Amino acid sequence: MSASPSERREAWLFVSPAIATIAAVAIIPMAWTVWESLHLHDLRMPWLGRPFVGADNYLEAFGDERFRDAMARTFAFAAASVSLELVIGLIFALAMSHALRARALIRVLVLMAWAVPTVVAALVWRFMFEGPSGVAGSLLAALGVVDAGFSWFVHPVAAWVPILLADAWKMTPFVALLLLAGLESIDPSLYDAARMDGAGAWRQFREITLPLLRPALLVAVLFRALDAFRVFDVIYVMTGGGPGTSTEPISLYTFTTLLQHLRFGYGSALSVLVFLTTFVLALLYIRLVGRNLLEAKP
Amino acid sequence: MMVRAVTLALMLLAAGCAREDRRDVLTFSGSAVGREADVLRTQLARFAAERGIRVEIRATPDSADQRHQLYVQWLNARSPEPDILQLDVIWTPEFAAAGWLLPLDRFAHDTADFFPATLEANRWQGVLFGLPWFVDVGMLYWRTDLFDRAPGTFDDLAGGAARALRDGRVRYGLVWQAARYEGLMTVFVEILGGFGGAILDEAGAVAVDAPAAVSALTWMRDAIHREGIVPSAALTWQEEQTRFAFQTGAAAAMRNWPYAYALLSAGDSAVAGRFAVSPMPAVPGTGAPTGALGGSQLAINARTAQPDEAWAVVEYLTAPEQMLERARVVGQFPSRASVYEPGRGLEGVLGIDPAAARDVVAAARPRPVTPVYTQLSEILQIRVHRALTRQQEPAAALHEAAREMRALLARSGLAAERTTEGP
Amino acid sequence: MSRWVARGAAALVALSAFPLAWMVVASLAPETRLFDAGGVWRGPFVLDHYRALFDQRDFWVPIRNSFIVAGSTTVFAVALGAACAYALARMRFRGRYALLAFVLAVSMFPQISLVAPLYLLLREAGLINTYPGLVLPYLTFAMPLTIWLLVGYFRQLPADLEEAAAIDGAGRLRTLVEIFAPLAWPGIATTAILTFVYCWNEFLFALSFTLGPERHTVPVAIALFRGQYQVPWGQILAAAVVATAPVVLLVIAFQRRITRGLTAGAVKG
Repeated sequence: MSASPSERREAWLFVSPAIATIAAVAIIPMAWTVWESLHLHDLRMPWLGRPFVGADNYLEAFGDERFRDAMARTFAFAAASVSLELVIGLIFALAMSHALRARALIRVLVLMAWAVPTVVAALVWRFMFEGPSGVAGSLLAALGVVDAGFSWFVHPVAAWVPILLADAWKMTPFVALLLLAGLESIDPSLYDAARMDGAGAWRQFREITLPLLRPALLVAVLFRALDAFRVFDVIYVMTGGGPGTSTEPISLYTFTTLLQHLRFGYGSALSVLVFLTTFVLALLYIRLVGRNLLEAKP
Repeated sequence: MMVRAVTLALMLLAAGCAREDRRDVLTFSGSAVGREADVLRTQLARFAAERGIRVEIRATPDSADQRHQLYVQWLNARSPEPDILQLDVIWTPEFAAAGWLLPLDRFAHDTADFFPATLEANRWQGVLFGLPWFVDVGMLYWRTDLFDRAPGTFDDLAGGAARALRDGRVRYGLVWQAARYEGLMTVFVEILGGFGGAILDEAGAVAVDAPAAVSALTWMRDAIHREGIVPSAALTWQEEQTRFAFQTGAAAAMRNWPYAYALLSAGDSAVAGRFAVSPMPAVPGTGAPTGALGGSQLAINARTAQPDEAWAVVEYLTAPEQMLERARVVGQFPSRASVYEPGRGLEGVLGIDPAAARDVVAAARPRPVTPVYTQLSEILQIRVHRALTRQQEPAAALHEAAREMRALLARSGLAAERTTEGP
Repeated sequence: MSRWVARGAAALVALSAFPLAWMVVASLAPETRLFDAGGVWRGPFVLDHYRALFDQRDFWVPIRNSFIVAGSTTVFAVALGAACAYALARMRFRGRYALLAFVLAVSMFPQISLVAPLYLLLREAGLINTYPGLVLPYLTFAMPLTIWLLVGYFRQLPADLEEAAAIDGAGRLRTLVEIFAPLAWPGIATTAILTFVYCWNEFLFALSFTLGPERHTVPVAIALFRGQYQVPWGQILAAAVVATAPVVLLVIAFQRRITRGLTAGAVKG
């Protein structure tokens, strides 16, 4: 990577405004979060000051049942939503790769679900499950899945159903598109050869499609997992974390701690723990995808 | 083209930064729904005509929890507006301790007329931060055609409600606010008091894991799930939903605030003339009929640009004449004892005899007066709601709640003697 | 297999479109019919909720706020990001890969982790509940996004573009303006659209850093409709339609570009 000094200077000139901005709005605040997490800082109790307390906030977090529950719940939600989206996304992608004429229509519909604000998605799905006569709720009651007049949002487990549906509805299109890109990179002559060998559709899928799709699947899983772990909007709007705290994800608990309880020290510790968890997931992602983008051609 | 776009963006941002000059206009933030809004607007218009000070009403959500969250957000962000705030009775110590309210002692010289409990709820470290505006007390509403007399014990109440249900006269036996919000705490405090318990004892120590509290919570849970006299839908209800249930004749009894009385007596109510109010029941011997002290106070933003004008508004709204008018229009109980005297004009306005009303108010029990009350309450709300939705046994739920509450008090440097509960 | 899968996909597409269709139809239903699952489709169709939205609730204000914030963020992010992406994609210098990895890492920062320090910072600067007070936090995700997308686009352009221009004797600036920009323009436009959409839909920062209706963005305004004791579903749905309309229109107009942009690599989901 040899470059002339003037070209290097030029490059840094191009790059510095953006990097400086990022440093100012993301890096420095992130560093501050870490520093803040080592202090006691309750904005509602100014008489306590802002003493340095070392790892106390972290110790409190590990002993905080609400924190542990929120983490567990968030992981479970990520697993459930990613699985759901993967399955549905795969069906979508397979259909899009086959039905060439309907592709444009499918693409538009699919992109609309992606482009709709998460808040809107959450409210629409809430509306459909709301009360005894929400359209989805009454449909499921008519099908016998639940009793008539079942109150979805009062039940700690049932409340997850509309949440998962809203999230899947919004995010599956992206998964489908990712998988479609993967599908389209599979050499069609492989299928021709398999068909000539007498392999049926299912065998073709199992022995050609799935293995060759694995990289794309991995990208989709990691990417969605990273995002699902940070879920906030859909749950805040749909249930507010309720009933009780049974649908409260970790980002909502952190938000509540910061902006409702005004415990900035403890909330910063929670923020750091969320950051570390996503960092681990992100490392995996960078190792797998990042290098590909830099080195290979798209 | 890029340059033009960036310049435009900068200009727009600059426009957004500019703040209008808003002298001579004060902002008032509080409940602005229905009749409350009407009488408030009338009074503020009169005030503007008399004193030349305009007050704008900034609407806030009707739910107290959401209004609290909004206030915390505004005041913590150091916003100078709103200038005057309508506070729920439990918020004053919290906001005062955080430094967000203006001390009122230099303005309010004559406070003897206010009910002592309401004043105490508005003091923090001996300094007055809020002026009581109107008082709310939890009461039992019951159908005179379904109960022979006012249910004085929990057994009376449950028995009568069950009977009415069995006879098919009503859809629900008893309705109360059991959504996971502060209202649930007022209900809990009342039933707790009826069983002889309290959230904090006289010494200020946490007492929610005492046997009386466990009995109270167990009774509440069984009323929903075992006896079936309280519908499980109530677990998402707040005041309006319960009022609606009672007003349409679907319930035999209801726990609610005084505001419901006028609405229940109106022409479009199915139960007009067929209901009465009484104190909440109690266990004979161990408990006492308890009404939770609610109501609103007026406070001034510590960062207001116009403290004297803000005080003028507060003083005006809490004057006896305005309180009487409010009682007549909205049915809210005045916070000045003198207004209840015969001849002042309160007769026939509140639905109960003024003397009886004054006694009820005087005996109302405040919730713990501590800056961390909302946090204590949230801990308790979550656990109580969990027990009521059968996610946890009452004893276990209260035990955990007590532990967290004690930890919170210790962590806050609020020694037990600093917190006070009512008489 | 393909017919079976296609039928499954058709069903899923219908399911996918249903909530949006329901949202539009229900927003036109009179208040009493809102929860009548069968009756909503029959009509009558009224504009009551939309009227209430703009007359009673002043919904123009959040729309204006969203446009200003999303627009400003997009302009800044694309301007700075394009320069940075150009260097990263088409210049050779040491630390290039490290910077790219750095940008990617920053895009993984959970938003919630930045709320605390940004809040305290903005409060000290008196920027809470202002436009800059939202644009600055928005740059935390907008900058990595634009850089990442534009690097992907710029790399796809012919590698010898600069060399050819240099041989012809053109300086850096001329190369950029006359040769590179026209080719890069589609990529920049798409990036701008994607960035705008992300900013428009953003919720957490808008919720944390604004205080009242005068600066609320559209998602926050709609979410906070739920404040009243009686949830005004009619108006919420009408607001949802209004909130979604610009984005949907953008998507339909630029669908091909956006698809390519989304599949071009590491895009935030």
